[in-house]
Amino acid sequence: MKEITAIIRRDKLPETKKVLEDLGYPSLSIQSVDGRGKQKGMVCDNDLDPDLPEKFCTSVKLTPTPSTYALEHTLPKVALFVPKRMLTMVVPDDLVTKIVKSIIKVNQTGKTGDGKIFVLPIDNALRVRTGETNGEAIA
Amino acid sequence: MKMIRAFIRPEKEQEVVQALEGAGFPSLTKMPVFGRGKQKGLQVGPVHYDELPKTLVMMVINDTDVEKVVGLIMDRSRTGFVGDGKIFVSPVETAYTVRTGEAVL
Repeated sequence: MKEITAIIRRDKLPETKKVLEDLGYPSLSIQSVDGRGKQKGMVCDNDLDPDLPEKFCTSVKLTPTPSTYALEHTLPKVALFVPKRMLTMVVPDDLVTKIVKSIIKVNQTGKTGDGKIFVLPIDNALRVRTGETNGEAIA
Repeated sequence: MKMIRAFIRPEKEQEVVQALEGAGFPSLTKMPVFGRGKQKGLQVGPVHYDELPKTLVMMVINDTDVEKVVGLIMDRSRTGFVGDGKIFVSPVETAYTVRTGEAVL
């Protein structure tokens, strides 16, 4: 068994869920998280995410000298953290590549901020209702 | 690769993030969580808080950087009082970048 943790754009969530449903693996957990990658966040008023809430945007702070103070007002606002959706699902070993590939296919826009997918090993899984373990618990 | 999950005080989050950025680890995911430790929460006078707000900082890094990152987080989020949090390190098999579709961190 493997755990797939995918951090994706908020607006791609319905499509991703649809694709996973079509694959026959609809079970997943969704969490709202804030994240950033090696770009250290993003600039607010561009076309990367038009629906970004105002509270994520902050003004750039420069070392205070008279000239930088004037400059600060002309700079675009930046989001140090960007709201994302984190999907977690536990799947059998042989399906990992297929699921990862389809998540990538749906979420790929080619712009920065598409997200990351992590694959982690899982030792055991239990279904609480019946007490089934391992493969039966996630079937 | 390893996944670091650090449960830290919410007020220490900015400091930790800035320290990690300064050391060359800008990528991370954070989320607000509620939890308790072996002290079973917090007793302030007659009021008992069972679950306390924490920030969960999650990041995936190369094996060689684990010690450095864990040390940094420990340094910056330590106050010496109960409730400083925990750090968990777990193995990650593969990391994909969605934009390129490649299996690189």
